Formats: sequence, structure tokens, C-alpha cells
Amino acid sequence: MFTKKKIIQFLVIALLFISAVLWIYHQLSVSFTEYADERNYREIELFADTAPSELDEDSATEWLATVSDMIPGARSAYLIYDEDLFDFVPLAGSPAILSLFESERESNAFVRALDSCYYLEPMVMSTLYTVDYSLDSDSLVSEAAPSQLYFIPVADESGAFTIGAIMIAVPDTAVSGYENLMRTLLIGATVLFLVIAFILMFTRDPMTGFLVLGLFIIVGLFVAFPIFEAIRLSFIRNGRFSLQTWKECLSPTYLQALWGSLKLGVLTATFSTLVGFLFAFLIERTSFKAKKLMTTLATMPVISPPFSLSLSIILLFGNNGLISKQILHLDASIYGLGGLVLVETIGMFPIAFMTLSGILRQIDSTVEDAALDLSATRWQAFCTVTLPLAVPGILSAWLLVFTNSLADFANPLLLSGDYRVLSTEAYMLVTGRNNLGAGSALSFLLLLPTLTAFLAQRFWVSRKSYVTVTGKPSTTLTDLTNRPVRIALETVSWLIMSFILILYVTIVAGCFVKNWGIDYTFTLANWGEALSRGWTAIRDTVTLAAIATPIAGILAMVAAMLIVRKKFPGKRLLEILIMTPYAIPGTLIGISYILAFNKPPILLVGTGAIIVINYVIRELPVGVENGIAALHQIDPAIEEAASDLGADVNTVFRTIVLPLVRPAFISSMSYTFVRSMTAVSAIIFLISARWNHLTVLIFNFSENLRFGLASVLSTVLIAIVLAVFFLMNAIVRDGKLTEKTISTR
Amino acid sequence: MEKKSVSVTLEHVTKRFRNVKGKADVIAVNDSDFVIEPGELVTLLGPSGCGKTTTLRMIAGFELPTEGRILIGDQDVTMLPPNKRDTATMFQSYGLFPHMTVFDNVAYGLKLRKVDKAEIKTRVDEMLNLLGLGDLGERPPSRLSGGQQQRVALARSLIVAPSVLLLDEPLSNLDALLREQMRVEIKKIQRALGITAVYVTHDRTEAMSLSDRVIVMKNGVIRQIGTPSEIYQSPDSRFVAGFVGKAAFFPVTIKGHDGEHYKADLGGKIVDVKHAAPGLGEGKAVIMARPESLRIKGKGEGSIEGRVKLNVYLGSAIESFVDTPLGEVLVEIDDPYGRKIYSEGEEVSIDFAPDRVRLLGESEE
Repeated sequence: MFTKKKIIQFLVIALLFISAVLWIYHQLSVSFTEYADERNYREIELFADTAPSELDEDSATEWLATVSDMIPGARSAYLIYDEDLFDFVPLAGSPAILSLFESERESNAFVRALDSCYYLEPMVMSTLYTVDYSLDSDSLVSEAAPSQLYFIPVADESGAFTIGAIMIAVPDTAVSGYENLMRTLLIGATVLFLVIAFILMFTRDPMTGFLVLGLFIIVGLFVAFPIFEAIRLSFIRNGRFSLQTWKECLSPTYLQALWGSLKLGVLTATFSTLVGFLFAFLIERTSFKAKKLMTTLATMPVISPPFSLSLSIILLFGNNGLISKQILHLDASIYGLGGLVLVETIGMFPIAFMTLSGILRQIDSTVEDAALDLSATRWQAFCTVTLPLAVPGILSAWLLVFTNSLADFANPLLLSGDYRVLSTEAYMLVTGRNNLGAGSALSFLLLLPTLTAFLAQRFWVSRKSYVTVTGKPSTTLTDLTNRPVRIALETVSWLIMSFILILYVTIVAGCFVKNWGIDYTFTLANWGEALSRGWTAIRDTVTLAAIATPIAGILAMVAAMLIVRKKFPGKRLLEILIMTPYAIPGTLIGISYILAFNKPPILLVGTGAIIVINYVIRELPVGVENGIAALHQIDPAIEEAASDLGADVNTVFRTIVLPLVRPAFISSMSYTFVRSMTAVSAIIFLISARWNHLTVLIFNFSENLRFGLASVLSTVLIAIVLAVFFLMNAIVRDGKLTEKTISTR
Repeated sequence: MEKKSVSVTLEHVTKRFRNVKGKADVIAVNDSDFVIEPGELVTLLGPSGCGKTTTLRMIAGFELPTEGRILIGDQDVTMLPPNKRDTATMFQSYGLFPHMTVFDNVAYGLKLRKVDKAEIKTRVDEMLNLLGLGDLGERPPSRLSGGQQQRVALARSLIVAPSVLLLDEPLSNLDALLREQMRVEIKKIQRALGITAVYVTHDRTEAMSLSDRVIVMKNGVIRQIGTPSEIYQSPDSRFVAGFVGKAAFFPVTIKGHDGEHYKADLGGKIVDVKHAAPGLGEGKAVIMARPESLRIKGKGEGSIEGRVKLNVYLGSAIESFVDTPLGEVLVEIDDPYGRKIYSEGEEVSIDFAPDRVRLLGESEE
């Protein structure tokens, strides 16, 4: 593969390309410098013409300050010609320039420049002078920087005699900023070219190489780069390396918020696991009557927008809540830890439920029968067989909920009251104080426990799962014989189910009530106002989610195919980069996206693209996992047969892989759509005047106590999501492909 | 479909699978070097894990050799991906596309070659008829029997008129009767089309009955290459002898060679043996004897004394298991009606003709 000839060829090509690029760079930077000089000179002449007719110190200062409007970063000073001294003396201007003038006025260059001004000839200095802008700093330059100096004479009304001279310094940063950008782009292009040339010359399947390269570019730009920027900027304060940001973040206030997050996470995870286990047990192990209803109610919180539950909790138990105030006349507040645990438990127990029902389904119920057969009581069988077998699943469910609760952003935003958690603190820092560095540092603080829990779940607990060793697995339902126990369990779950139902009914009811908490008369006015004010947001949200959905779906399947079927260097790294967004809180992603993409070379903040990219990147992990699982089910010989018959990677993917993983493909698309429609945590940082998001609008309405409007929009959102969700499900189920593979070894 | 037959050449091909986490590499194929002549059907035979499938996959292009070159005809294809090689593989699991009908499965390769629709239709129908699948075109592969699936896979490989047909244990999922039928069918079609074919199997009967030549492999190393009869009658090692057929091994000491026969000391008796594996000198060795080359004689008449333990009646032959001081020996008696059959428990002796047995090195390998 690496023959001497090819390596030499490659080096020659690389050398030629690099020298071509260097030449282009040189040409461009020279011509740009010339262009910039020329343009600056024109601007300066224009500026000189704007000189007020009566120049005294005040009017001069005012006028001189306007120079930076014409040329960004420029400073100026006015020197008046003193006829008694036969010399120019400073009148007014930027201290930065005046100090330079004082120190350099005796130099030959300055003397010559002033002489030239005396004869009404403008002078552009041939060398750059270092001007210490710290004496007169603005947003563009605040330190000493090499600058181009211009001396422009000002003539009297007759135009024959010099009355003064303007001295203007233009910092070189405009040019060097351009050069930096160009350098970045050219280096990027060179690297890209070399990698492509390398793939073409040294791999035997360039198409795979390009797909891998494409994926690496995508995750590199939109996963690794923003996180890197967030880390870098959290160590930088006022343009210098500093630990200040981190010191502030580790101050007692924020540590208290971290503690708050952890406490909330532990409580939520514990309650969610309990409820989830109860539901899973009733469904998988007993002849509970309402299994279908139970599954549906346990699915609802997953696909409904995160604000909706908080919203109905506020409607029911808030300061003016229906139950708390109108019915029970309580003064207790739902805001704070209690309310948060309640709402997060309802919202997140489905995660535990799904994990645990999977685990319970895997545990062959004959092992329980065996225990009963050996004369254990039902309770003993549960404690000695079922529970120990389910322990890895329980841990795993607990950790998953814990991770989700730490990263949760929507509910604390509405319900936390005085209770402080990290995700919202970070948001406040960013939006309230515009302190992005501190926001990202706080998010990293949050990342530590989240990542720990995620990794623990991934690599430790999930490997400990038991596989029941049996011939033919069977699930017989050994019903709960103990009546009191059965009734108790069923009552508890009916209560929980009714509560969930009431929460959703409340949202719908909220749409039709004039002023919740005060005036419960029926009205349709909310609909008109909500839809007219929310129409663009609904349209934008659906549009952006609809754009992101197929991209994420196809990207996920391509990535899954490459990971499962192809060998390439850096595969592990690619997998990790793809999975990363799953483990890190949305708040951090949102903040890091603003930090990374608010400046060239990639300026995306404020566009719809950044929102779409964010959807795709955040939902990619789940899609890839689905795709990997689906591909593992498919005999590799099927794809090999296709490529053997002459199909290249693209054709294999299009004609074989995609049709075969269709169920996974569609379900990950529906997942992406649902999640994109209901996203909050990262999106709230990325929306702009042009692109709004429905969930953020709902949040704004709730925050302003416009509950009617919030309810309407929540209902609309839930309706859209449900419609798409069930449509996609129907498509999957309708598939002719009941059998994925037809042959077994 | 007329095409010039091509050869397949492997030049010092080695495949190492890199084992992660500091474990040693696995050498799947070690310095394979052979030429498959145009139009020839060569079988790679060996126990599982011997590297025969890896060799096939390297010829197909699914694996890249770590060292060495692979040529199809005169073209070096070592670096070519599978889709650029003029080979067609029949997989052990067939690899039929479950989401396409039988017709679309077979037509797949032609569609990729941008053959026009009408021609695809005629050629696919022709091929389906040739393989007796004429009326199954619209079925999904999952609704076919094993034998039919197998034939669809064969049709799909053959329709693109490959220069080289690669078969990876294609019959292993079929029942015994079907296997025999398909074996003959594959051989006929291969002959008729003159395709160079490489066939991987661990079934010695399949290898013997199909191949022009057999390559016996073990642990990634080629042990012997030869026609089926060479491999069967003149193996070079105990491993090959034992793997390609039933054989008894009698330990002997070679005393010398009288110009025509080796003189071997078999438990005190000196016996004559005509053939020996190359490079065998005086010293310890074994006599390899096939069951059908042994004869049972009366007590004291042959070279090895023993007692009949069990007779198994097979119709065309009888297998006699004889207990001897050298262990249990299987003797096959052809044409049982024309010979004397010793009953179970009788004292007998075993004899062999000097030119029907072979001296091999004593190593088990």
C-alpha cells in the first residue's frame, strides 16, 4: 500500500500544492494591504474635509473622536500650526497618539512629515509605529499595536497656508484580522486537500474514506470545536489567561447551586426509579388490566414538550392554582425543590420505566417459577430472584434519570423559585449578565457529575447485566396472589396514572379559560391570540425540525454503517465524538455554540442553520445507536454480496443498507423530530429575532403569567408531535419487512 | 457470456489480523503461494479456522493481504475493492437481499452495470430457467426453500459473468440429499461456462467430488496441493491423510530401501512399502493405510494380528473394526459377496499390498 513511488508522488503533490497556496496567500495579503491603505487614505481625506470651521479644543476633541466611525479602531489628534514658534503643537486628540507624538517629534521621519504638512502635502509614514492604545482603549484595540500613521495638513480658507495638521493612526489589526482569517481558511483548505489526496492515493476504497472524512469534519466542527472553544474561553479573561472565571464559579453561591442540582438529581432519580419499577413490574409480571393505557401514559411525558408538565403543575398548584388556592385555600408554594422533584419524576420516570421493562422482559420468568417451585413465597421469590437479577437495570435506570435531571433546564426555569440549580444559573449568567465564559464554566461544573453518571451507566453498570441461561425463554404471568399487596400496588399506580392524566387535561383546559386562577369563564380568545402571536414560531419550529430530521436520520445510518462494517483509523474517536452530545447538558452545548460560531471563519449565530445543526448533532447519538443495533441484526454477507456484484459504498448504502435498516431509520427520524420540536436547553441560547422556537415562546408566555396562551401553544405542540410520532410508528409497523435477515448460519 | 478463462495467482500472501490491546497478532494465512489455472475448480479444504475463508475473502477483495500480491489473469488486484474485481462470491449464508424479489436479486448486478431493462429481463429469465427457478421470480427470498435460496445466490453470482467464481461453503446449510444434487449442478455449470472457481469447504467428500485440485490448509499454512486422488492416495503428512479420508496409522521403523521397496519394521516383522512421503529417511515413521487397501486374512497369514470386534454392513461394502495391538483398525471389504467374511470375535490378521500403503513422518501434524 505504501510503496516508495506513491509516497514520493504524494510528497511532490503536497509540496506543489502548499507552494501554490503560499503564493496565493502572499498575493492576496499584499493586494489587501494595498487596498486597505488606499481605502484608509481616501477615508482620511474625507475625514479631513469634515473639520469644523472653528477649531478650539472642545470642538476638535468631539470631531476627532468621530474618526473611528469612518475607520474602525482609528485614533486621531489635531496639531495646530503655531506661527510664532514656526512649529506644530498638539491641540487635542487621543492621548495614545499625543504620547507617541511627544516621544517621536524630534525623529527625522516626524520632522519630515511635519515639513511636508507645512507645504500642504499629506504624508503617509513608510513604517509602522507602535501606538499604546491602552491609554485610550475601545472595543477594537486596547493594547499596544503596530499602526499606520497619516499626517494630513489642514489649510486656511484661502487654501494657501497651513493652519494645522491631523495625525491619524490606524491599527494594523484590521489587516491582520483579515490575514488571520485568510490564513485559517487556507490552512484548512490545505489540510483538507492533503487528506483527500492521501485518501485517493493510499486507500483502496476512497468513497469510504470521503464519508469518514465528512463525518470527522462534521463532528469536529460541531462537537469538538465548540467544546474546545468553551473550555478555552473559560480560561480567558480580558484577553489573557486567567483562572478568575473558574474561581468565581467555585464560589459558595455556585457550589450551592451544584449541590442543589445534585440533591434534585438524587431525589428525582430515586422516585423515578421507584415509579418506573412499579409500572414495569405491573406490565411485565402481572395480569394488570390497563397495560395499554399505562404504556401510553408513560410515553406521553417523553414526547411532550418539557414545559407542559411544569405549566400544568403551576396551573394546579401554583400561587393561584386551581387545587392549591381555589379548592384547598393553601398558602404553600409549589416553587422550589418539592415541585421540581414532583414534576421531574413525572417527566422522567418513563426513562426508568422503559429501561426496567426491558430488563424485566429479559429475565426469564421460569427462574421465578423455579424459586416458587422450591417452595419460596411470592415475596421471597421477588426478593431473592427477581430483584437481584434486576439490580443492574435498576442502577442503570437510576443513573440515566440522574443524568437527565442534572441536565434538565426547562422545569427549573419555571419552577425553581428560590431554589438554585446549575443549569439555570448558567443561563442567567449568559442572558442576564452576558458572561459567556462564566456560563460555560458553570456548565462544565455540571458536566462533571453528568459525565460521571453517564460513563458509570455506560461502561460499568450496563456490562454487569445478567443473561439468564435458558433454552427457550418464556414469560408466564404468575399473578400476584396476595390480595392486599395487589390492591395496594394497583391503587398506587392508578393514582399516578390519574395524576398524569389530570396534568394533560389541565393543559387542554387551560386553553379555554379566560384567566386561570381568577376568572374561569369559557373562552376561545386564547386561541386567536396565541395562534396569531405564535404562528411564525410554530412555522419556524416545524420547518427547522423538518429540515433536521432527514439529515440526522441519514447521517446516523451512514455513521452506523461505517462504524459497524468498515475499518478505518480513528474509528473509536469518531464514535466518542458522535456520542459526546448525548452525555453533555444541553446548556453547555448551547453556550459553546454561541462561543464558537459568533465569529469568523464560521459565523452562524442568528441563523436557522445553527439551530438545525444543533438538532442534528444532539439527536445523532440515538440515531447512530439505533442504526448500529439494526445493522448488527443484518448478515454482513448481504452487503458484501452487493459490493461483490459491483456496488460502491454509496450504492450499497442506498440500495441495501437503508432499505434494510428502515425501521431504525424511521424511528430515529421520528425521535429527532420529536426531540427537536420539544428542545429547550440548547435552543434557548441559539434562537434569534429571525428564528424563534415554540418552546421558548411557551416559556416566555408562562413566565409572563399568560397561561392561556402557553396552554394553547403547548397543546398545539403536543398535537403536532403526537401526529408525527404516530404517523412514523404506523409507517414502521406497515413495513413489509418483517424478517430482517433470511438466513442463519 | 462467452469469456476467456483467467488464472488466479497468490504470491506469498500473508494475512495478519491485528489484535487490539497488546495481544499477539493472529496469522490467518501464512505465505500462501499458488496459481489456479484458467477454468480450473480448486477447493480450499481444512478445519475451521485454517484460513481458507480468509484466503477466499482476500481473492474477493473483502480483506486486504498484509503482505503479498493477488493477481487475476495478469492484473494485480491486491488493492482493488470488491466492486472493481471481476469476481462473484457465493456466501455460506447466501447474502440474498431480503427486501427484493428473486428477480430483483438476480437482476441487481446487471442494473449496476446499466444494462437496459429489456435485456435484463431476458437474461434474468434465462438464468432463472437454467437453474430451475423459472416461476419463482416474484417471490421474496424468505419464501424459498434452502435449496432454492442457494440457487438464487448462484444465479445472482453467475449472471454478471464473472471471471472468477468464489464459493464459501455454499452447501453447508442444505440437507444431505440436496447437497449432493447441488454439488453436481455447480460442477456442471462451472464446466459449461469455463469459469475459474475457488471453493471453500471443510467437507472432504465435497472437496474430492468437485475439485480439479485440492489445497489442504491448516492453521493458515498450505499443507498440500494436488488432485483429489493425489491428496487421497499420496498425502505428505498424517494431518492431510487423516483429514481427507479414513486412515489407519501403524508405527514402524524404516530400516532401509532395497531399490524398489522400503523395508519397515512393523512390530518385529519386516514389511515392504513402496511409497513414502518425500524426504523420509531411516528411522521412525508410520504406515498410512486406507480402509479399502487393507485385507483381512486368517490368523497368522497377514502382518498384524487382531480380532474382529464389529462388522458394519453398508450394502456395497462391509466395514470391519478389528482390535489389534496397535489399536482399532478399520478395514473396508468391498464386494462382500465375493469374499470371506470373518464373524465378530474371530481371530484374524490384517495384510496390505506394498504399493497400496504409504510411509509418512510420524509427527501427528
